[in-house]
Amino acid sequence: MAQVPVQSIHRDPQLFYWILFPITIVMILTGVLRHYATVLMASAPKKQDQKATREQRSLLHGINVRGNHHVLSKPSFTARRDALITAYESGAYLKNPDSRGQPPPNPMSDPNAMEGMMGMMKNQMAMVIPNTLIMSWINAFFSGYVIMKLPFPLTIKFKSMLQAGVATRDMDPRWMSSISWYFLCIFGLQPVFNFLLGSDNAASQMAQQMNQMGPQGGAQMFGPGVDPNKQFLAEAENLAVIEHHSVLDGVEQRLLAGIKV
Amino acid sequence: MPSEQELQISPIVQESLVHNSRTLYNLQSLTASLFGVSAGILGLESYSGFVFYVALSLVTAVLFYALRVAPTSLASGKPPLDTSRYFRGAYDFWAGGLMNGFAGFVLTWTLFYGLVTA
Repeated sequence: MAQVPVQSIHRDPQLFYWILFPITIVMILTGVLRHYATVLMASAPKKQDQKATREQRSLLHGINVRGNHHVLSKPSFTARRDALITAYESGAYLKNPDSRGQPPPNPMSDPNAMEGMMGMMKNQMAMVIPNTLIMSWINAFFSGYVIMKLPFPLTIKFKSMLQAGVATRDMDPRWMSSISWYFLCIFGLQPVFNFLLGSDNAASQMAQQMNQMGPQGGAQMFGPGVDPNKQFLAEAENLAVIEHHSVLDGVEQRLLAGIKV
Repeated sequence: MPSEQELQISPIVQESLVHNSRTLYNLQSLTASLFGVSAGILGLESYSGFVFYVALSLVTAVLFYALRVAPTSLASGKPPLDTSRYFRGAYDFWAGGLMNGFAGFVLTWTLFYGLVTA
């Protein structure tokens, strides 16, 4: 079997100074810029009126009582449960008790909801605009030649991705053009941002997409279009079915078992 | 896995757990980039580079266990190589570095391989 000769291409060493480093530096600076733009554009939480706050807090109160019932003694848990269930079912904590039973308003017409969507739009914009700009910048200035060789072999399928704009049929797919260096930077710069900006930064769009998957619960709970009355009724039901036990049940036995004479 | 009652008697503080995992994640991603630098300078190619990365990640995990986790974990009566005093999953502790740092490793490996062999 004939050995396939290793392709070597003579490249100008200046390629590194004029292509590789500019792209990398621009990517890092864009990440830093995106981080600070997100920090600056983050709108402060809107002040809510007393009624709305009471509605949310009392629901959270019920949830916390349900989650931590084991640290309460039996009588105090029963007292809390009875008081909460009565208030929930009578609608005492509702923002406007008159609108019980009516369908919730259309979320599109609620100005608060529009505000939340604007925030999301701003985040999306902060992600999409720099990416588009950088990609078109790289395509305009640095396309049509290869700059580097990957240290590991790839199949021929990757050729069209890595060597976009280089129409050379027999070239090894390990050679990569500047646009593929850009993709590598997108995926691999997270540690650099962690190092520069601290670990909860907003620089990398990958991490942001991960975050968007995660904590949906908190935002959805008081989101627009959710009927608080229904939430209260469901919570009252949850509280009613709890089988109470305390952490102090049988504590004497545990203490005696733990003492070694 | 402890039962619900045991968890309620001696609860796990979520914030501490998150802080521990974040510290571990930072270490893993930073070391992965540095492994990429060394692999590139050594001029490793294809399989030897990946083997280098896997071996060094495991060495990092072992070192982290031996230096940071083991002293207090063994003293509190846990068996050796048990990380449950500080971390939730054993898999995340031992193999999580392979996932977390891979992209950073490939980036710096490519960069330094290209710089050195050009």
